[in-house]
Amino acid sequence: MATTHGAQATTAPAMPPQAALCGSCHGPQGLGVEPLGPRLAGLSSEYIQKQIKDFQSSKRQNPTMTPMAMTLQGDALIVQVADYFAAQAVPSVSIQRRGEQVTFKDSTEQLAYQGDWSRELPACVTCHGPSGIGAGTFPRLAGQQASYLKSQLLAWQAGTRQGDSDGMMANVANKLSAAEIDAIAHYFANLK
Amino acid sequence: MKPVLMLMLGAAAVTAAHAAPPATTSLPDRQAQLPSSPKLEGQEYLIPRPLESIPQGAFGDKVRRGYQLFVNTQQLRGKYVGNELNCVNCHMDAGRKPNASPIWGAFFAYPAYRKKNDKVNSFEERIQGCFTYSMNGKAPPSGSPELVAMSAYAYWLGMGGLMVQYGVAGEVPQLDDAELLKGAKRDDFPAPDAIKAALTVDARAQLPGRGYPAIPKPELPYDASRGALVYQAHCQSCHGSDGQGQAIAGVYALPPLWGPQSFNWGAGMHRVNTAAFFIYENMPLGKSMQLTTQQAWDVAAFINAKERPQDPRFEGNLDATKSRYHKHDGYYGTTQDGVLLGKDAFPVFPATH
Repeated sequence: MATTHGAQATTAPAMPPQAALCGSCHGPQGLGVEPLGPRLAGLSSEYIQKQIKDFQSSKRQNPTMTPMAMTLQGDALIVQVADYFAAQAVPSVSIQRRGEQVTFKDSTEQLAYQGDWSRELPACVTCHGPSGIGAGTFPRLAGQQASYLKSQLLAWQAGTRQGDSDGMMANVANKLSAAEIDAIAHYFANLK
Repeated sequence: MKPVLMLMLGAAAVTAAHAAPPATTSLPDRQAQLPSSPKLEGQEYLIPRPLESIPQGAFGDKVRRGYQLFVNTQQLRGKYVGNELNCVNCHMDAGRKPNASPIWGAFFAYPAYRKKNDKVNSFEERIQGCFTYSMNGKAPPSGSPELVAMSAYAYWLGMGGLMVQYGVAGEVPQLDDAELLKGAKRDDFPAPDAIKAALTVDARAQLPGRGYPAIPKPELPYDASRGALVYQAHCQSCHGSDGQGQAIAGVYALPPLWGPQSFNWGAGMHRVNTAAFFIYENMPLGKSMQLTTQQAWDVAAFINAKERPQDPRFEGNLDATKSRYHKHDGYYGTTQDGVLLGKDAFPVFPATH
């Protein structure tokens, strides 16, 4: 029994002037421009705010994003820009609830839905939600660019992305093989 | 409760595992303390077979249904479930993970006689207890398809794992529903000869990794206010600053820890020791044994010093319920932050108080 779920964009605020700069790489509605900028639409405002601050404090490192994040100074401005992108609609995705499927033909889908506890690897959907649609501090994975998901898992492994509570995401990334990272990135990117 | 009625309830539980549950005007204590023993070096844990090897056919369908109910117990919301929890929240990896109260360990530990209350709990009665307390719900009736399915899943995981461990080839022998509901801790439980020869019934009831492993009492007495700091640092990013978890697309994978949508005052997890054991071994998710034992006890105290749904055994008198059922590490009937816990507890399912 699949249901669909997309962001509600009925009350999207007007684009604040400072968001125009973001839009040049992330797209004016934050839908992403691969490989320039990942999708921001579908992420929560809370999450986007945190990431801007993480770039500013070097918990996240990216030669392009670090100076861009520096242009957004002050909480009020950060909230305004984050709210704008968080309110943008994303294509809906068919929701698969945990337990709906008992066995999986695709080992990547199995990793997403059941994890691999022989390695203490929880299922991705535990935190990122069914079909990885995300909420709150847990980013949406569904429909995100595969190249970006892959680069972030590698960044967690390399320690160039931090700021997660108790190193939870670094812990997960460090247990994944290169092939698994590639496969899981494509799995979530291609969910519809 | 009058002594005569108590005797009758005790007798009913011993002799009629498949009869309708006794009248619930006074619920018997079916949420016994979980077994708990320290972890030992070099313990070998049972490894269940992969779910792909569940057989086709009617028996396999029950096993698969059991898995589905286990990870998405919310299918039974409003029918038997009264909160936002799923079995898998406390029994990690769909009840397969050792030291996270694996359901395969429980299957071989029941029926269990407890001298303390002179009752034998069958496996289905134990699961019924989970619905009544942990799920703040209403127990499915004895013999119901849900209890059969969950019992079949537990049996298949456990027996399949033992067969691999002791070199018994072939499919897990199929059992009928009545056998499944009883559990495996009995002399007449059908098991392959190699397993009978290797493990006594009592040894099977104490498989390594069952329950949550005990950790020592902390150096300082556990303290909820110290636990609040542990919670902020290590728990709230998933469970929320208000402890209410996180729902995504209507599903709480990150469960509420207190309040009306969590387990009630009769659940095993409201005991500070049980929660501390669980937390130490299993939290943060995928990063177990990161907290000190002191932190685990303190944060368990913090979580369990909050109001939650009433104890279903409550009959209108807080002191009576406290003295009868709460002689353990817990906060029921105590005053925390000026609130007498249990006095205005949230309703149980269905809301009768």
